[in-house]
Order: sequence, then C-alpha cells, then structure tokens
Amino acid sequence: MRLLPLLFYSAAAAAYGAHFAWRNVRVGRLATALLGGGLLSHTFLIGMQTVQAGHAPLVGTTAAVSAFVWVLGLAYLYIELSSDERSMGVFVAPLLVALGAIPALDPGLTARPAVLQSPLFTIHVVSMLFAYASFALACVLGITYVLLFKEIKEKDLGVFYARLPSLGVLDVMNGRAVAVGWIFLTVGIVIGGIWAAQVQHSPDPRAQAMSIADPKILIALVCWGVYSFALYARRAIGWSGRRAAWMSAIGFAIVLLNFLPVGYFLTKSHNF
Amino acid sequence: MRLFAVGVSHRTTPIELRERVDFARAGVAPALAGLAARNVVREMVVLSTCNRAEIYAAADSDDAVEGVVAFFSEYHQVEAAQLCEHLCIRHGADAARHLFRVAAGLDSLVVGEPQILGQVKTAYAAAGDAHYTGSLLNRLFHTAFAAGKRVRSETGLGEGAISVSYAAIALARKIFGELKGLRVVVLGSGEMAKLTGVHLRAQGVENITIASRTRSAAERAAAHIQAQVVDWAGRDEAMLRADILVTATGAPEVVLTRGQVARVMRARRERPLFIIDIAVPRDVDAGAANIEQVFLYNIDDLQGIVHDNLARRTAELALADAIVEEETHRFVSWMQSRDVIPTVVALRQRFEAIRRAELSRLNHKLSGLPPEALAQVDHVTKLIVEKLLLTPTEQLKAVSDDGLAASYSDALNRLFSLEDAPAGPVEEPQSLPRRRAGSLPGDPS
Repeated sequence: MRLLPLLFYSAAAAAYGAHFAWRNVRVGRLATALLGGGLLSHTFLIGMQTVQAGHAPLVGTTAAVSAFVWVLGLAYLYIELSSDERSMGVFVAPLLVALGAIPALDPGLTARPAVLQSPLFTIHVVSMLFAYASFALACVLGITYVLLFKEIKEKDLGVFYARLPSLGVLDVMNGRAVAVGWIFLTVGIVIGGIWAAQVQHSPDPRAQAMSIADPKILIALVCWGVYSFALYARRAIGWSGRRAAWMSAIGFAIVLLNFLPVGYFLTKSHNF
Repeated sequence: MRLFAVGVSHRTTPIELRERVDFARAGVAPALAGLAARNVVREMVVLSTCNRAEIYAAADSDDAVEGVVAFFSEYHQVEAAQLCEHLCIRHGADAARHLFRVAAGLDSLVVGEPQILGQVKTAYAAAGDAHYTGSLLNRLFHTAFAAGKRVRSETGLGEGAISVSYAAIALARKIFGELKGLRVVVLGSGEMAKLTGVHLRAQGVENITIASRTRSAAERAAAHIQAQVVDWAGRDEAMLRADILVTATGAPEVVLTRGQVARVMRARRERPLFIIDIAVPRDVDAGAANIEQVFLYNIDDLQGIVHDNLARRTAELALADAIVEEETHRFVSWMQSRDVIPTVVALRQRFEAIRRAELSRLNHKLSGLPPEALAQVDHVTKLIVEKLLLTPTEQLKAVSDDGLAASYSDALNRLFSLEDAPAGPVEEPQSLPRRRAGSLPGDPS
C-alpha cells in the first residue's frame, strides 16, 4: 500500500513529460488524473497511519517528507485546476517522485515522544510544511521563468516559449508563492521558538538541544533571512524577474539541504 | 444517399471569378433557398469566404451534381463553360476529406489560420437553422469541427505568428501576459509607426503615446490611432512609464544609445521593457539588448521568427494530414455502414418473421407449458436469431469499399428474398448485445 502513491506519482510524472513533449490534451488529463490518484492514495495512507498511531504522522524527518510531498501535490493540483495550466507538472511531478521515494522505501514511523505532544508542535510542523511547499512551487516557477527568459532574451524561441505561460504571470506567481511561504515560515519559526522555550527543561536531550547553534534551526533562520531579503528586494529595489527567480531557486536549495541531509544526519534537536 | 462538394477556391480560381461567385455578398440564406427551390438535393450547406465558394450536398444520386453546377452558374450569372474550367467536384470520401482539410486550415491561403473553422461553423449553422441539413451533413460537419480542433490541439500547425506585427504582439504577450493594461510609446510618426499603433490598438492596448521630432507629424499619427503626443524632448520620461517601446523614426543614426536605455531602466527599477525596433537603419543601439529586463527585437529578429514559424508549420503538415485521413476514414466507415442499414434491417425482419412463424406453428405443442417456460422459449429463440445475425451485420457494416458493400447487399437481398420480407418494427442492429460465444442469459455458466 505504501508504494501505491509513489507508483501513481511516477506514472503522473511520465504522463506530464509526455504532455509537455506532445501537448496532447488527453495525455494532460491523464496526467492530472494520475496525480489525483496519487494524492488520493497518499491521503488514505496518511489516514491509515494516523489511525494506527493515534496521532498525525509528523514525527521524524521521513514522516515529514511524506507529508511535504502530500501538501506539495495538493498545492500544485489546486494551482493547475484553478489556472488550467499544466506545463509546470513536468517540473513538480519528478520532485514528488524523488521525495516520495524516501517514505515509500521506509515509512520511518516512530512513536510520538512525550515532548512532542503539544499542539504547538503540530502547528509548527504544519506551518513549516506549507512554507516548504510554497517555496518548492516558487522554485519551479523561478526555474521556468529563467528558462523562458533565456529563450526570449537570446531570440531563440523554442520549447519553453511554446509551452509556458508568460514571464509576467510566472513572476507574479513566484512573488505570491514566496510571500505565502514566508508567512508560514515566520509562523512556523515563531511557534517553534515558543514551543522550544516551553520544553527547554524537559529531560529529552533533543529538547535541550533546541538552540540557534543547532544546524537545523540555524539554517531555518538563514532561509528566513534569504526569503525576507527576496521579498524586500522585490518591493524596495525592484528585484523581480530573473533575480527573484534565482533567489527562490537558491532559497529552496537551502530548504532541501535543511530538510534532508541536515534533518537526517546533522541535527541534534530535530532527530525524532 | 450520395455526398458531394462543388465549388471554387483560391487554389483553382483567379480572384476575378471568385469575386463573381461570392455567395456571402448577398448572404447565404437566398442561395440556400434558391438551391432548395430546385429540389435537386436533400441536404445542403453553402460555405463562402474570401478564398472559396463551395456547396456541400447530399442527394439520392450523383446526377444531382449537374443540377448544383447549373445552380452555381445561373445564380451568379456566370457562363457554365467558364465556371466549369475552375469548378472542383468531389464525391464521397473526397468531399469529406476536402471539408476536413478546409476546417483544419490545411486548404487556406495561410496554412493553419484559425478563422476558417469559425467560418465553417457559421456556414453550417446557417444551413442547420433553416433545416437544410440532415443526418449525413450533420455528421459530416461535426466530424469536420472535431478534425479542425484535433489539428489545432494535437499539432503545432496553428502555432507561431506568421507576420511581423503578430510576431511582435505574440512576444509582448509572452513577456507581459495580458496586453490590455500595457503602456506603449512609439518613437516616430511614419507609416510603419502608424501601422504598429493600429495593430496594438486592435489587440486591446489603450495607452499609446507618440513622440516624434516633428510635433505636427506626431499629432497627425496620434489622431489616426487615438494616441497621446509628447515632445521629442520628453521621450525619456514617457519611456519611464512604458512597457513596450516601438521605434520607427527613419533617422539615419541611432536615436537610443545603450547608456540612455540603461539610465531609463535604472529609473524604472528594472521593470521589463520590450523594445521593438522596426526602423532601418536601426534606431536602438544593439548593446541595449544586454541590459537586464530589456528585450530588444529588430525587424530582422521578427522576420526570423516568422520564417521559423512558417518552417515549423510545414513540418507539422504530415501530422495534420494524418489526422484528417483518420477522421475521413471514420466518417466514410459510418457513411457506408449507414448505406447497408436498410439491408441489415430487412435481414433482421426476415429472420424475425421466420422465428415468429415457427413459434406459431408450434403453438399447439407449447400451449401446455407454464407462462415462465413460454417466455424462456421466446427469449432463447430471439437470442439465437441475434447471434446468427451478429457477425454478418458487423461484417457488412465494416466493408470499406462502396462497390463491395453494394454487392454484399445485393447478394443478401437475393439469398434471403429480402424484397418480400414483411415490414415490422425491428430494433436497430447497433443495439445488438455483444456476448461471449456460447453464453446465454440465464445459462448456468
């Protein structure tokens, strides 16, 4: 059962690729349906895990990755259905497959330690997941912006010119995704800080390691700094377009770095 | 029922004659009424555009073609001999294929142009509203719409601008999205500047400002395209607010240096600026293209895009032709299956009559059975008849050759004496249930 979402996501990625290449409407609809199937089976899987564990499966990096894939898939599907624009699917679906493979191979479900039983922890994790999903979408929008920008600037109109929405639309959507992500990131960090202060005296060594010296927390703050600068630069210095696109790509690279290698190997505070 | 198309197009007919046989001039309604009054065809659609005048019709025999040709000649008062030199007459599959090619834009002067599909729809609606279409032309035209849509969505035939102005407009859309709220500044007041302004206005751009070295010339051009005028000295300030800058001054030297554009861009806080330099010699320093968020296209760049798009469209022709062939094959199969339906219905009536006759012959032997058993006997005999007829029906409907289908129909008529078959209500053969061989409803299997 836990492989089913991954199989759906993989099939959707292939269908989005075929749709991007041939622009066949039926293949596009098939891709959307496969993604919908993946999200439905993923929802069912998360529901089952919740019933099994008695709480939402948000403990540990692998469970968080699974939830992130689910949120990202839902956010993308919402954008696709509301804008009737499928060309981003070819960039988002492979990300779902790559990250979805981690929980599919080993769900990494662990019992929830006493220290994580606060509702603040749930708010913190959910906010961070929404922030990361927004940043992932901003990154995809940024990359597509750069690809289209390059074609128009170099007067070599080709694959992306024929398939992607306008630079203006990509830039506006990128700006919105960064802004939404920044709000969730801010809420997540603030709530996380309050919760960390509350559990500082817990006997759990991970709770005691919650400090700015921990790489996970430090890099999350760096992320907040990068995205805050991106928002400021867009409004105050006029850094929209290609510069904003690169900023969102760099920002998401830091998010991924913090999410995976740091989350799995380096942090002493977030290794539940 | 025979399908045919009679008409002239830009491929076969000079414009002098096309002008004379234009049905649209007086509206297609009188033409439809005039042809209907002659009572030579059962169904008809008149398609008239600046590049073609065609009548699609369905009649009981091919002899109706002569009547339509005579109508064509007399309605437009063109000598039949002169008209016949250019007239194209297509029958059956050829007529269907031609209409599908027309609807897909494959027969247009500019291959892949999208307007023709709308024109075909309008022609069909005009005939349909006046009840001049029936099942054959309804199916034909709906298949044509489907073919047109498929060619547009499954091939790149309609993609890419094929004129310099539209290439520029398509680029502007790709940079900014909607054109409606954009601000355009035009430097120059010559014909090219005016023409570009007209094109932009037609695309919904409302805010156009013209700057020219000669204020009076700028005012004349502005009046032509309902634009505002600024002094030549105020052009930099106008550029600060512009999204698109069109330069067409005819000046012998560069009127916008890289430095000037860079200064403007800094003051605009790097908002994107699309510069369309259609002047020869060029008005804008080519180095301006290297400035971030400046998209500079000159006349050669735009012509290059047009050239590439035309080449790309040509490359898509084979794919579009394949779609047209597929739809033609599907339509012709339907048309032929339609031709054999009377034979199939007669065959089923014949078999049903035999079944009923045999049941009534055995009536006295079966009368002792309970009603459920009688119903079962009736049901089983019906199924036997259906199963016997299923394969011949499918085979007959699948025959793709007109002559062969007629031979098969003739053979069946003779073998089963179908002419003598009693008339009676028999369900459409299409509704025959397809079941696994050897299984009957109620069977233990």
